Amino acid sequence: MDNLERYNNIFRNEFKVGNDQLNGDLAAGNLKQWDSIKQLSLVTAVEDEFDIMLDSEDILDFKSYETGKQILAKYDVIV
Amino acid sequence: MFLDIDKKVKSDIAAIDDYSSRITYGQLCDFSVAFNSYITSRTLIFILSENCIGSLSGFVAALSGGIVPLLISSNTERGLLRRLIEIYKPSCLWIPDNMSDEFDYKPIYHNSGYVLLNTGFPQYPLYEQLSFLLPTSGSTGSPKLVRHSYNNIAASARNVASFFELKSEDRAIGMLPMHYTMGLSVITSHLYAGATVLLTKKSLTDKEFWEFVKVNRATSFTGVPYSYEVLYKLRFFRMDLPDLRLLTQGGGKLSDQLFREYAEYAEKTGRRFIATYGQTEGTARMAYLPADLATSKTGSIGKAIPGGSLSLCDDTGIEINENEATGEMVYHGPNVTLGYATNPDDLLKGDENRGMLKTGDIARRDTDGCYFIVGRISRFLKLYGLRISLDEVEQMIKSGFNIDCICSGDDEMMKIYITEEDKKTVLHEFIVEKTGLFHKAIEIIVLDELKRNEAGKTIYI
Repeated sequence: MDNLERYNNIFRNEFKVGNDQLNGDLAAGNLKQWDSIKQLSLVTAVEDEFDIMLDSEDILDFKSYETGKQILAKYDVIV
Repeated sequence: MFLDIDKKVKSDIAAIDDYSSRITYGQLCDFSVAFNSYITSRTLIFILSENCIGSLSGFVAALSGGIVPLLISSNTERGLLRRLIEIYKPSCLWIPDNMSDEFDYKPIYHNSGYVLLNTGFPQYPLYEQLSFLLPTSGSTGSPKLVRHSYNNIAASARNVASFFELKSEDRAIGMLPMHYTMGLSVITSHLYAGATVLLTKKSLTDKEFWEFVKVNRATSFTGVPYSYEVLYKLRFFRMDLPDLRLLTQGGGKLSDQLFREYAEYAEKTGRRFIATYGQTEGTARMAYLPADLATSKTGSIGKAIPGGSLSLCDDTGIEINENEATGEMVYHGPNVTLGYATNPDDLLKGDENRGMLKTGDIARRDTDGCYFIVGRISRFLKLYGLRISLDEVEQMIKSGFNIDCICSGDDEMMKIYITEEDKKTVLHEFIVEKTGLFHKAIEIIVLDELKRNEAGKTIYI
């Protein structure tokens, strides 16, 4: 499984969204169920999946599908 | 005035909120006088609370003027809110401006983003010592309220300020909702000390929250176990927060591992970590573990707060005298509330508890007299800081779906047993919506049958 598929899987599991929703619109502000609890659950899933540990700043910034990809790039995970 | 706010330094700041608004003690006094000129007699009002200056000022003003507020979340499910208004018929509502379209009542006063609506309901007598009301459970939609006296709130503010050693220079993060007993305790204890409360509606995972904390140089943080889990996840120990000197925890039991981590962090960095124990029925805190015992008494709630006492009782209700023992924890103190209310007539009732509260928690006392919570008698869970009554959830499911069910669980997971497989998904969504619980904190289990004993009472699993 490539990184994109692994990344997408996490979003599908956490937010129960379909493939058509995996795009630039998928963000905390647009999705009701993306609350603080979900935020951390998502970050934990990402950290476990890619075996990395994000800094506080990056955890707080992880608020959209696209931003998440940019953050992962800082940890040498290219999605 | 409430907590002698008129005797504090007038130019000192009482509160700052997310809107960068600030209010001094002098302005708070002026506000109280203005607010109370619109409510002419001792009546019941509802405050639809948010963590902001409008909400806080309304509360302080009401208590200063002998008006009795029910503090309830502005996010209260609207059906429940209507029902509460119908049952208790308050004279006025003090609500955020943006909610005023929802009501047909007449606006009579605006200030700090809040508006006072006059309902016109005829009023009724209230017990002379009744100061304010809080809901028993913010989440399961019960109209049952806890009745607080003037002495309860004054004693609580004074004693909490005393054991936290609060000073007028302190600036506390007020992140827990003010309609939640511990959130209110943060506010009242700091006002008592003439200190500043930093009121925020932001959550720990918002960047703005941390900017707010840094800009205002917060000196203390109070959270529930879940808040401490989130802080840990956010690499709190690596954050640069030089002004933050005091961490206080309540609202349920922190895991021993996290307790140890925070105690050690505090010791290493010259901060104080203070675990506390409380309930709405005890005007928040009833016990605390002094900071210097945090590393040696992992998981303990310590001893009774100043002015109170703790004891243990056996199954028959008789006090256990041995030093080291386990039993139901009973608290005596001036902060034990008057009792409950389920209708307006109850607001005329006097003190039914007489300073004694059976906590419903099973505790162990060690040879040093420190208490440790080990279980619970009453059927409540504390999930993510929310108190959930299992009996209420059962009732909610039974009336909403007309199916049989049994609720049980622990402080990590609520378990709901049903027999209808096809209801599983819809029931799950229903519970999430009604309780606001995180979906992973709820497990629905389908059984062939639900077990009950001969008397027809449920056998809990």
